[in-house]
Order: sequence, then C-alpha cells, then structure tokens
Amino acid sequence: MSGFEKYLMSRMGAENSHTLEGYKAQGGYATLERVLKDMTPAEVTAVVKDSGLRGRGGAGFPTGLKWTFMPDAQKDPRHRYLAINADESEPGTCKDRVFMDEDPHGLLEGILMACYAMGCEGAYIYVRGEYRHQYDRTAAALSDARAAGLVGKNILGSGFDCEIHMHKGAGAYICGEETGLMESLEGKRGHPRPKPPFPAGFGLWGQPTTVNNVETIFNVPFIVEKGAEWYRSMGSEASPGNILVGISGSVNKPGVYEAPLGMSARTLLESEDFAGGIWKGRQLKAWFTGGSSCGMVPASFIDVNMDHDSVKAIGSMLGTASMIMLDDTQCVVRAMEVVARFYDHESCGQCSQCREGTQWLHQIFRRIEAGRGKPDDIDMLTSIASGMAPGKTICALADAAAIPANQVVKHFRDELEEHVRAGGCSINGTGACAHGTAAKETEVEVQS
Amino acid sequence: MTKITINGKEHDADPKLPLIAACHDAGIDVPHYCYHPGLSPEGSCRMCQVEVSEGGRPARVMVSCRTGISEGMVVETHSEAAHETRRECMEFLLKNHPLDCPICDKAGECDLQDYAFQEGQSEGHTHEPRRKLEKRKDLGDVIVLDQERCILCTRCVRFQQEVTKKPELTNAGLASRSYITTFNDRPLTGNYQGNLADVCPVGALTLKEFRFQARVWNLEKAASTCAECSRGCTVSVEVLRRDAVKRMRPMYNADVNKWWMCDTGRFSFEHLNDPERLTGGLIASGTDLLGATAGEAIAHAGATLRGTQPAIFASPFLTQEEAGALLELATTLGAKPKFISPEANDLKDDLLHTGDPCPNRRGLSDLGFEAVSAKDAATAVVSAGVALLVGERVLSMLGDADLGVTKLITMDTHPCLASGVEASIAVPFHVEKAGTWINVDGFAGRLTVARNAPQGVPPLERTLSDLQAALGLSEAQA
Amino acid sequence: MALPKKLTAEFDELCTHYPERRAGLIPALHRCQEELGGWITPEIMDDMAGYFDIEPAEVYGVVSFYPMFRLTPPGKHVVKVCHNISCDLRGAREVLKRAKELTGAEVHGTSADGKFTLEVVECQGCCTTAPMIDLDNEYHENLTLEDLERLIGECQ
Repeated sequence: MSGFEKYLMSRMGAENSHTLEGYKAQGGYATLERVLKDMTPAEVTAVVKDSGLRGRGGAGFPTGLKWTFMPDAQKDPRHRYLAINADESEPGTCKDRVFMDEDPHGLLEGILMACYAMGCEGAYIYVRGEYRHQYDRTAAALSDARAAGLVGKNILGSGFDCEIHMHKGAGAYICGEETGLMESLEGKRGHPRPKPPFPAGFGLWGQPTTVNNVETIFNVPFIVEKGAEWYRSMGSEASPGNILVGISGSVNKPGVYEAPLGMSARTLLESEDFAGGIWKGRQLKAWFTGGSSCGMVPASFIDVNMDHDSVKAIGSMLGTASMIMLDDTQCVVRAMEVVARFYDHESCGQCSQCREGTQWLHQIFRRIEAGRGKPDDIDMLTSIASGMAPGKTICALADAAAIPANQVVKHFRDELEEHVRAGGCSINGTGACAHGTAAKETEVEVQS
Repeated sequence: MTKITINGKEHDADPKLPLIAACHDAGIDVPHYCYHPGLSPEGSCRMCQVEVSEGGRPARVMVSCRTGISEGMVVETHSEAAHETRRECMEFLLKNHPLDCPICDKAGECDLQDYAFQEGQSEGHTHEPRRKLEKRKDLGDVIVLDQERCILCTRCVRFQQEVTKKPELTNAGLASRSYITTFNDRPLTGNYQGNLADVCPVGALTLKEFRFQARVWNLEKAASTCAECSRGCTVSVEVLRRDAVKRMRPMYNADVNKWWMCDTGRFSFEHLNDPERLTGGLIASGTDLLGATAGEAIAHAGATLRGTQPAIFASPFLTQEEAGALLELATTLGAKPKFISPEANDLKDDLLHTGDPCPNRRGLSDLGFEAVSAKDAATAVVSAGVALLVGERVLSMLGDADLGVTKLITMDTHPCLASGVEASIAVPFHVEKAGTWINVDGFAGRLTVARNAPQGVPPLERTLSDLQAALGLSEAQA
Repeated sequence: MALPKKLTAEFDELCTHYPERRAGLIPALHRCQEELGGWITPEIMDDMAGYFDIEPAEVYGVVSFYPMFRLTPPGKHVVKVCHNISCDLRGAREVLKRAKELTGAEVHGTSADGKFTLEVVECQGCCTTAPMIDLDNEYHENLTLEDLERLIGECQ
C-alpha cells in the first residue's frame, strides 16, 4: 500500500542503523542539538501535547498531557525521573524490540528530549530480562552516546545534565504495569501500587516519575523535528501518527509493519504489503485486536479501522495494535485456555479477585476445552469476570483477564456450549483441532 | 477535622487517616482484612469497599483503606452496591480456602467467618479443587503456619517490616501460587512472634501454645495489665470455664502498648494455673507446717508480730490499693515498708519490654515505698529478727537468700519454706483481683478480676486489715 | 561472604546507578545466576541479603516472584518453549512434543542424564516469528522441527 509516509522504520533499512555513526549519518541527534540550543522545556512539552501523540504501551493515554502531570520543579524540588517501559510482554506484541534492535539511538534521543521537557535528571530503561539482544544493542548505543557527550553532564555543552541507565527485568508480565515496573526497578516484587498517588507525585523511590513506552518516546524526536501539524497529518484525528502493527497467528506473512493509525484491519490482514491474508487458503474466524488483553472479536469485525476510538466502538480495544488471527480450523476455546492460563500465571497475587479469579477462569476454560465442562460453567465465566472488573482491583491485569473471557462468551458462546454439550471439540476443518492433545498438554500445572 | 457524611449522619473525620478509620471511629465496622490501624494500608484484599460520592459526582465503590477524606464526601457503607462488591470478594476468598473451621483454632474470632456470614452468599459455586500447600509448617517455638488458610493479606509481613523491623516472613511465588513462608524453613525469632497470630485475620498463623486448647467462645475475657515488666501492657486475660487461664492477648492502649505485647508477657500464665498454689494458710508448729484457714494463720501472725518492730518488705506486684492498706498497717507498727527491686533482666528492647520485671515500681515509689535490692532486703530481714513479707512473688524475688532464723510472716501465692517461717497466708494472683498499677511512664494500668480466687484465698487488702485487727490495733485505736 | 570478588566489584559499580542500593538486586541476581551455576541457591540468597543489607526472606520473596530465576539446579542446557497464543497458533505444541522426545525431559524437569532442562514459558516477544525456543539464553525464531532437531543435536 503506497501513499503513506513512513518515519518509524525509515532509518532501519541501513545495515548500520543501530550504530552512532549510522544514526548520525541519517540525521540523528541534530534535532536534539536544536532543542537544547533553541527550545525551552515547556516548548518541547507543548509540541508533544499539540501533536496528539497517544501512549503506545496499550492504554493510549495522551502523552503530552501525561508529561504535564509532573509537578512544578520550582515548587517541588525533589529528584525527577523518566522510566522507559521496555518490558514488552503482552502476548502478540513484539514491536518495541524492533526499535531497540534496529534504531536504539532514536530511542535515546527521544529519552533525552523527554527528560529535557520534564526536567528529569535521569532515565531508566527497564528491559524485559529475556530481551538479551535488545538490551545489549541499546546498552552499546548508550555507551557510544555517552562517549560522544550526548548522555551525562553538560550535554553538547548546553548545561543540560541527563543520565540514562539500563535495567533488567526478570520475566514477570506484571512489571509492564507502570507501578509494578517501579516496584521491580526498586529491587522488590513487582506488585503494582494503588493509585492515587500517581507516579508523577510518588514514583521511583517516592520521587516524581513519568513512565513511557519505548515506541511512544521513539515518536518524540520526529514530532519535535517536524512539528505537531505534520504529525496530525498522519493517522486519524483522535489517533494521529503512525504505529507499528504486529500481525501474528494464522497469516501468510506475520510481521511488524508500520502503518498510519486508522488503517483498516482488513488491509493490514489481506494486503501483500502487510500480512498477505490468512494462510493455507483458509478463512478468518476470530482475531485479537490489540494483544490478548483486548479479547477476540469475530471475523465480521475485520473492517474496523485500527485506531483507538474505532476499535472501542466495536466493543474492543486497540491495545498494542497486536493483531492475532485465528483461521477457521482453530478452536476459540483452546485459544482462551491459553490466554486464561497466561493471566493465571502472571497475576501478582495481591488482589483477592485477580489472584483467585485468574486461576478460576483458567480452570474453567481448561475443563471446557478438555471436554469436562459443566452446564453452569459458561455463565460462571461472566460472573467471575464481572467480579474482577472493571476497576475493582489495584491494577488492570484483572481487567485484562476478564475482558477476553467476557468477549468469548459474548461472541462465541455457541462454541463454548458445543464443547460442554459434546464433551469436547467438534471443529471440522481442513486442519486438526487439538482436542485430545490439548487436554493432556494442559494438565501440566502452571509453575513459575 | 473534616465533616463527612456516613450512612446519612454527619461525622468529624481526621483527614490524616483513611476513610475506613473514620468509619470505624463512627462505630461502623467496615469489613476488612489487609487493613490494620497499626500498619500501613495496603489495599490488596479489596474487602473494605464502600460507596463514596465526592464533590457531587456520582457514587463509586472504592476501597476505604486507600480513600482519603475530603470535605463533604458522602459515604454509604451498607448500600446494595457496596454489599454486592463485598459479596463478590468473599466468593473469591473462599474459593481456595480450606473448610477447616471444625479444627481451626481461629473459629469464633475469625474475620473470614464473620464477614462471610455478614457479606457472603450461602452457597459456593466453585467446582475446582482447592490448592494444596503446607498445613502445619513449624515456624519455631511460637507459631504454626497453615499456608492453605492464608488469604495473603500480608499483615504478618507488614508487621515484621514496620513494627519489629526484622522481616522473616515474606510472600513468595506469585499469582494463585503465592504463599507466605520464612526463608529456607528458618524459624521465626524475637520476642514479638505472638502478635502474628493476633494480626492474622484467619487461622493461618496460630499459637502453638494455644493449639487445640480451647474454643474461644468458652473463654471468659477480662481486661487487665501484664505483670512481666514495668510497661504494663493492657491485656485480655482469657479463662476457660472459670478455671485455667488459657490465653493472654494484648488490648489496644494508645498510650502504652498500642496493639502489641511481647511473648514474655503473653506466655507467662501457666504459673497462674499451678495446682500447688497456697489456699488458706500454713502455721508453724515445731518443725512442721500445719494447714490452717487464712483466719487462723492471720491470728497466729498477729500473735507473732505483736509488740515487735518487724522489717516489712513488699513485692512490686502490690497494687496501689493493696499498698495503701500495707502502709496503714506499717504506720501502726511504726515501720516503713520497702519493696524488693529485682535486677534488670536482658529482655529490654526498642519496642515494649522495659527490662524491669516490676509491674508497679513507679506506683509504689510514688506512695513512698523505698526500693531495695533482694540482697539488702535479705540482710535487713536477718538483722530484724521479725519480718513481714507481702505480695505475689515476694518469696521468689528473695530467691534462696539466707533469711537466718528470723521469724517470718509471708503473704504470697505459695508457702514459705524457710526455717524461721511462722505463718504463710494465701494471696490472689494478679488476675484474680481488681486494682491499679502505675507503669514506667506514669500511666495507670487497671487490673480486673478475670477469675475468682479459689476458696480460702482472701483479698490481700482484707488480709492486711484483718491482721491490723489481730494486732489489736484497729483504726479507732491507732 | 561467599560471593566472588569479581561479582561484588560488579555489584559495587551497579549500585552507583541508583539512589538506593536495593535497586541493584534484580540485575545482580541475574549475574549470580549466570556466573554461579545457573540457579539461585540458599547460600547466594544469604550472601545477597548481606550485601544489600536486607533480610534473606526479602531476597527469597523477590527471587521466587520472577519466573527467570531458578530455585533448583538446571541441566547443562536449558530449553524454553513459548506456549502462548501466537506461538500456539503456529505449532508450539508440536515443538514442545518434539522437544520432550529429543531432550528426554518432562516439562519443568531435567533429563535423567542431566543434560537438558525443558521449560515452557509465556510470551517471549517473538509472536511474528513464531514458533520459537530459547536455548541457553538465545532466541531461535521461525523455528522448524528440523531446526529444533539440529539445535538439540548440537548440544554437547
């Protein structure tokens, strides 16, 4: 699909795009220099706010607005931090790693601008522990940037000090929640904190902190360089800009693709420029719109535009724009058993409803999928889900577990009922459903 | 103070405390598990949900332990929405909780039971097997842990982090596989372990000492004061069927011990059930000691003391009221009573224990009693030739000090077996009397009768006034 | 302290990156696991408690929370198979089945000869290059069963 401007992946074609040399050769750090020379922090915040950039970590909160939550540094002289959420663990999501692999300096430049805008003395890049290659690439870029005077004291002679530090997670999805991330960064169990207080008032070590996703920050240098109007010329009105869409599952060309927000999901699925359609000549049956937390919708919703408001209007969410596609030989009950198992594994365990509810949902899906469903199980799923969410717990993991459960009962109740009635899966497609094998596999008790 | 409305009535709320504290102060028990007024609020059990409307906005259900006070907020603690949310919460908590009530020590004082009755539903809907964890985990001398009963409120973890400042319990694992444990099966340490059983809202952390000892609804409870040091923590003395003291637990006292007590105090009650305690009295007859009534022993004591100038020593267990009676008696005998001051022990800590095993040092000092070491008291007793020793534990405080051939009249819970004893008269234990002790900081600690003293054990005040009469020195004649 | 000087020197530098030392705990635990036998022993937890001036129970609470830290010794090679949704849709179950056969290990177990530990893991961020395994801390994506056989076969 021609006709839209690419910027997110624009530098990644060059083999040395991840090096300082390669980055500078493509114009990198020139905008930073201009920012430090000619712009005030307030001006940087203003352009980000005006651009309408929304967080790319899954919640879609307006980034510039989030930055303004940091207190006035004159009135509140505490230390201030930026934390970069590179914990990327939402099932279906593998796009932040692309920036760290291919264009880590772009991330660093964005961090420096964000710190400048908010008056943060330092930033921590919290990288999920399994992303070793991405961590190493980013750390190498950071080291080179520091050696070139771009990170540390008196950056480019401007008087602006900013330290950036690498930090590793250790495999817990809940540490991608902004307050869970901060607890983990402080060296503790990753238990999310009740809000209020919000990170801008009480963040890392109790100091004002903003937590931003990798891709969100990656957008910042482009916005500052080319302006808010340019940014708003791309995407949709309430969701401007481009986004990295991940398409995985039963497709011909799974991959991470840059696209403007608001592009039709059908285009992303079917176009040869993107996923190239459902594989093996099959049909789309169901799909997750934005990672597992957004739940599945039927194939009939494939014409939705992939922006925040349009996906919300069909009763789902854009999330991380990670589309996971199921073809018509796939069993949605089996898919839900996998997804429910994930939340059962990852709940931090603090809140009663989430700790018990995520396990309960998984146990029910497992029984139904294995042919041991009971007649009251399906209504029990919605009952449990409504006890967990919305907004009943410290963080939204309970919602993330409840939403897919609600969605599957809403859209695919007949398939659940079939499993209960027939004592198993009766999908009869060109591929084999995993009924039977699935039952044995899922007997493995989830262990940490 | 900020004005808020709770259940239709206006209340003054302390804006420094969370909403749940204001509700509790107003006499409304908002159900809760992880919240404890002595610990930092956690907000994880999600039970304390109430309906709140602030600034005219539509009412929302929120956890009251993490909700601050705002002027004019309108709170409904028992609305349908609040009940429904708490009912849901109960269902989740009971999904994995073992059906142990018939064998669980906590039954009858269990928050899970109480709130299940109040807020829960009558039927569970789960078909799933309950999780399996360790049910009798030995955590050392004091505590047994049943991990299956635990509802992960983390009060125990926060107690150790914030009060004793030595975290030995941790939550481990995550999700539905979470559990509470110590590191590497190590036992708990320190002198405050018993408080863990108090803060635990369910029967997960229980006292070994109390395991299977009594059903709590068969215990009669009385507020009293701990005897083991000069802190004088307020305690609940709990007696089974008017006989054995089965348990002591702290009671809240803002000035003295807040919600806590040390294990030394908590577990010092077995001696109160000693079957060898003295009832009535003993009278010396030649080299024998003959059983007698208290009255007979008092008469013999009067005969022994008449016309003498006895040394008078009290134990620091005397209440202010008993001390007053002793002072009267001493004045008429022309004597100045002193009290035996034991040495400091090594139990002093940064929390409660003062290291001074005297429950009423300050009170007796305020009344003019001089403190004397056991050694000096023994010397004085020997040189006096006649001595009156008064009070619970006075004999054990003198220990095996040689008291020579001095004629002794003793008033203690146990008989005196020294060679010079003339009469021993039984006195009640501190849990068997009403009275006042003054603690190290000057706060008055009340004693109340948790159990009647057995037959033949008169109150010490009466014994002293009877002795005064027996000396032929009644008030009128003094 | 039983932690080798080389590691504590690393930790000394690491802790300078944070205003409170405890923040170095998780990166330091990674280094312990990497350098000291592939798992976090009780001795390591005691030593780390001493180094960070916290209680061993607090270290255990952290170690037991994070799936990447092992509390039992691993085999010589560790094979992790992602079994989350995108990998599941593209053959993760077949990969897991074959991995069991090739390694001789049960899931979350170690083969009798101590050569392989086999684990299932949640989403590793390889959704568009599914299925995958993590073999000895290296991702192998777009994995075919032939790839799997070769990789396991090459393990000494």
